[in-house]
Amino acid sequence: MHSEKIKNFLHKRRQAEQSGGEERVQGQHDKGKLTARERIDLLLDEGSFNEIDAMTTHHYYEFDMQNKKFFGDGVVTGYGTIHGKQVFLYAYDFTVLGGTLSEMGAKKITKVMEHATNVGSPIIGIIDSGGARIQEGILSLDGFASIFYHNQLASGVVPQITISVGPSAGGAVYSPAMTDFVIMADKIATMFVTGPEVVKTVLGEDVSFDELGGAMSHGKNSGVAHFVAKNEYQCMDIVKTLLSYLPQNSTEEPPIVETGDDPNRMDNNLINIIPENPLQPYDMKEIIHSVVDNHVFFEIHELFAPNVIVGFARLHGKTIGIVANQPMVLAGALDIDSSNKASRFIRFCDCYGIPIITLVDTPGYMPGTQQEHAGIIRHGSKLLYSYCEATVPKITLIIGKAYGGAYIAMSSKNLGTDMNYAWPTAQIAVLGSEAAVRIMNRKELDTAKDPAALKKQLVDNFTEKFANPYVAASYGTVDSVIDPAQTRPALIRALDALANKRERRIPRKHGNINL
Amino acid sequence: MNDMIKKILIANRGEIAIRVIKTCNALGIKSVAVYSDEDVNSKHVKMASEAYHIGQASPSQSYLNMEKIAETAVSSGADAIHPGYGFLSENADFADLCEKKGLNFIGPSGNSMRLCGDKMECKDAMIKAKVPTVPGSPGIVEEVEKALDIAHTIGYPVLLKSVFGGGGRGIRLVHDEKELREAFEIASGESKAAFGKSALFVEKFLPKIRHIEFQLARDKHGNAVHIFERECSIQRRHQKLIEMSPSPVVDQKIRDEIGELAVKAAVAVDYLNAGTAEFLRLDDGTFYFIEINARLQVEHPVTELVSGLDLVKLQIDIANGKEIPFKQKDLKVNGCSIECRINAEDTFLDFAPSTGKIYDVNIPSGPGVRVDTYLYPGCTVSPYYDSLMGKLITWGQNFEEARQRMTLALSDFYIEGVETAIPLYKTILESKEFIEGDLSTDFLDRFKILDRLRDDMKKEASGKSEAALAATLIHSEFLKHKIRSHKEHSVRWKTQVDRH
Amino acid sequence: MKFKLENTDENLDGEIVKSVGNNEFVLKIQGRERDLKVITMTHDKVEFMLDSVYHTTKYIENSTSRITLVIDGVKLSFNKRPEMDKIVYKNSGADSAIDSQLNLKSQIPGRVVSINVATGDSIKKGDVVCVLESMKMQISIKSHKDGVVKSMKLKQGASVAKNDVLAEIE
Repeated sequence: MHSEKIKNFLHKRRQAEQSGGEERVQGQHDKGKLTARERIDLLLDEGSFNEIDAMTTHHYYEFDMQNKKFFGDGVVTGYGTIHGKQVFLYAYDFTVLGGTLSEMGAKKITKVMEHATNVGSPIIGIIDSGGARIQEGILSLDGFASIFYHNQLASGVVPQITISVGPSAGGAVYSPAMTDFVIMADKIATMFVTGPEVVKTVLGEDVSFDELGGAMSHGKNSGVAHFVAKNEYQCMDIVKTLLSYLPQNSTEEPPIVETGDDPNRMDNNLINIIPENPLQPYDMKEIIHSVVDNHVFFEIHELFAPNVIVGFARLHGKTIGIVANQPMVLAGALDIDSSNKASRFIRFCDCYGIPIITLVDTPGYMPGTQQEHAGIIRHGSKLLYSYCEATVPKITLIIGKAYGGAYIAMSSKNLGTDMNYAWPTAQIAVLGSEAAVRIMNRKELDTAKDPAALKKQLVDNFTEKFANPYVAASYGTVDSVIDPAQTRPALIRALDALANKRERRIPRKHGNINL
Repeated sequence: MNDMIKKILIANRGEIAIRVIKTCNALGIKSVAVYSDEDVNSKHVKMASEAYHIGQASPSQSYLNMEKIAETAVSSGADAIHPGYGFLSENADFADLCEKKGLNFIGPSGNSMRLCGDKMECKDAMIKAKVPTVPGSPGIVEEVEKALDIAHTIGYPVLLKSVFGGGGRGIRLVHDEKELREAFEIASGESKAAFGKSALFVEKFLPKIRHIEFQLARDKHGNAVHIFERECSIQRRHQKLIEMSPSPVVDQKIRDEIGELAVKAAVAVDYLNAGTAEFLRLDDGTFYFIEINARLQVEHPVTELVSGLDLVKLQIDIANGKEIPFKQKDLKVNGCSIECRINAEDTFLDFAPSTGKIYDVNIPSGPGVRVDTYLYPGCTVSPYYDSLMGKLITWGQNFEEARQRMTLALSDFYIEGVETAIPLYKTILESKEFIEGDLSTDFLDRFKILDRLRDDMKKEASGKSEAALAATLIHSEFLKHKIRSHKEHSVRWKTQVDRH
Repeated sequence: MKFKLENTDENLDGEIVKSVGNNEFVLKIQGRERDLKVITMTHDKVEFMLDSVYHTTKYIENSTSRITLVIDGVKLSFNKRPEMDKIVYKNSGADSAIDSQLNLKSQIPGRVVSINVATGDSIKKGDVVCVLESMKMQISIKSHKDGVVKSMKLKQGASVAKNDVLAEIE
């Protein structure tokens, strides 16, 4: 019965599945890019994708657009599961009108975003778009605006992840920038506010697409990309791994996974990672790898501001966020980019109930006019603000140097940190011994018979008296000096103790972080 | 009878330590184990009557620490030391130290060891005793240029050997000048690291040779016997992989003849206790003496199974001053025994070491199956020590029965956590050439065994492909099971009160 | 769904036809319907019966394009997306191509006994970069290509793990 109607339905459905048509799909493949539906197929669990709005079309008539109607109108939206967990997603379809955004496309995207925030599931966006659909003019721009609005509505409610596997230009780039994590595929993805042609016209500057806004550039220089993936397969792997650490929404606890790693595992070799000479650098990641479950550390923003390390790991099966100085880069000093990188990560962890563990070895902030004029004061304050604002369990471990303002900024006790530990190698002071002596004992050194010997003596005294964790321990700003071999068990026990932490703050609309 | 050995300290670790403890238990002798930081959880520590910590992981600070071990023996009240194989077993200074401290060293004297350990001197002693030896370089080579000269003279390929090497280590086959240069440097380094000194010599490489050794025993009363031969021709990088007794090319006449030479060799160096005389057999049947290994060997189980003897017990008896309780004519080979060494090595990475935690072990058993190993689920294979995890030995009334039992046992032997050569052994044991007894030290290369292994593995993979595909298809189900259900949490989302 | 068995380059076809509940499934493999019943599941192992033959599996690695597992003691890898490979690798080369250009990785765990080249050295494929010691053997690690040593990530006496990057060679 109704065989005509069924036939018609099947025909239309098949058409919808063909996106922009075989030729355009082939063109996409020739460029080494997958189609929207292929990407969704790689991302979601087999057979779990449910598409909605597959048969939307635009209703525009200017510029002869009525003859260029395609089902889907350049965006594929729907919901499905990733490793069993519900997600909502939208994927721009480059084979339909270049994946440009129209009024209807924007409506589709905001629809799934609303679903996601109603239901409490993460939102994933796959970007491969020519940008605004010029023909639709202001309708397209307004479409972007409503997407941005929904990005904000969802921010801190459900995790939002952007996979960039094609171009994204002009206003379009701001949606990814507002999401929590951006993954760009090397050699395929580009993001810029103004494209190379306009740059050439206005500034006379000659620059390629990849140089201006490619994945590597955003991974290293601007920090827009949290991850640079080798190819589209890896993009999907990164998203799946990332989601495995996160809860579905901000009311849920992050998932607990059985890792099989003994919570009492000690490592007698940890102390040997720190060189005897405090001026010699070491790789902080070695310490991180030893301590976390199964030596697995999921680093975020690996290429950007490498003087600070951020990422997720598990301790006894629970997700934790790690923030650590990296002595191998800039001696672990803090600067503008690293302050931004760490702050954003801390605030994300705070949104989703992920405890933060901070490992400290920093000589201070980078000096110089470049940093000062670019606003290290403003940017540096973000780090302090974020730590203070975070009410998730916070644990700090001071491994080496912790001087001055940087000591304070790296999750020190009075910023509201719950547990502060230190290794016997910790050196907590306002300044390094040399600098301190130079300032405090300037008069004596100027008038001394043998300034070099006196300096050495004063420096040694200062080091012995102050460059250690015991002064701080005597005041309780370091709760405990621990045996480095026991670091992992100590952190796990602290996390267990703080699991049900709840802090009261005075209600307000929101604070005014110095942006 | 009061000065019989009552307590033995085993100056070793791993499977050999367990082997000695087993015989101690059988004889009612107390056993003392020693262990490094790395071996705290080892099986030998758990099995001994007493166990003492002797130092850090690195061998030089623990199992090679003569002073510490002797001290531990004395303070624990041990009256004897069994050195196992490797480590201090052929260290003459250690044997002397034990003697000085009044500890009964279960093995030959320090001087005897020195003679056997110095391959050049030993060769001289053999020549004097009219035991035929291999043609090679007239003495030690200390400079790489000299080695190159000799190699050039006798012609490549040549073997670069360490005078103080043992157990196949310190032997390298080189095909040209470049390889010789490289090998010289490394062999030098290895030798210095393991034995404290480096002295190398060059020997012509003879193809298609068989490595045949004779088990020896000599007591304090001068009685000396051989307990048959073992064929150990299947090797790689001059380290034994598979051993068997009897050898397919040794009949009783040859056994008697070469066995007598072996006994002669033992007497020539005034050997005491158990040891092994190694020979090379050329394709034409000529036997050449190589060296005497002044210790109990890894492959001693195959001799035990075809003779019915407990060689560790024999060692202890000899150390107690007893006479060997049988004569040469009383010994008869019974059946056939084959051993496969189960090493933690990756066959396809040129047998590179594979270390780590052993998540699961399944040890084979059944008629004629014996396994000597330190493995148990949850133990660790350490990078600080050698790669031998255990030995799989089978016995049969004839070669074919022993071989069949071995192939079945290999299939049952499951080790999860490190790579092993078990698939390689299966390929070797089922090869036509092995069944026919066409063995030689270049067996693996000659018959391109690794290529055959790759084919066998492909066939095996193919055979499992459908089951593996099924496992792949249900993998997502498996993942869902792993992540605890979040449905219960969604209740919280629904009832959540508005907040900032 | 199409799969490629990497061990043998065979192509296989399989899908889940339906879930019968109670951890039982009907699968279709190479055109034939098979019954699968899960017996146990732990955090990394699954035991099941496929048409009344018992199997045990341990999952080693799983990514979007590939899965590696050990089934009844045999290690196998499947390419889950053989048809997409040539599109996805068009711009980036095969999965580890970028890596192996630059990084010399260690095949084995061990301790660094000697470092034989320095940053800036010109080396050829096969030149010894360093010597590692493991299990009382000394293994020389050779360069995988001709090039200039961009950076060394080695310290004398340090321990390296399998797959650690030893040096970058441009």
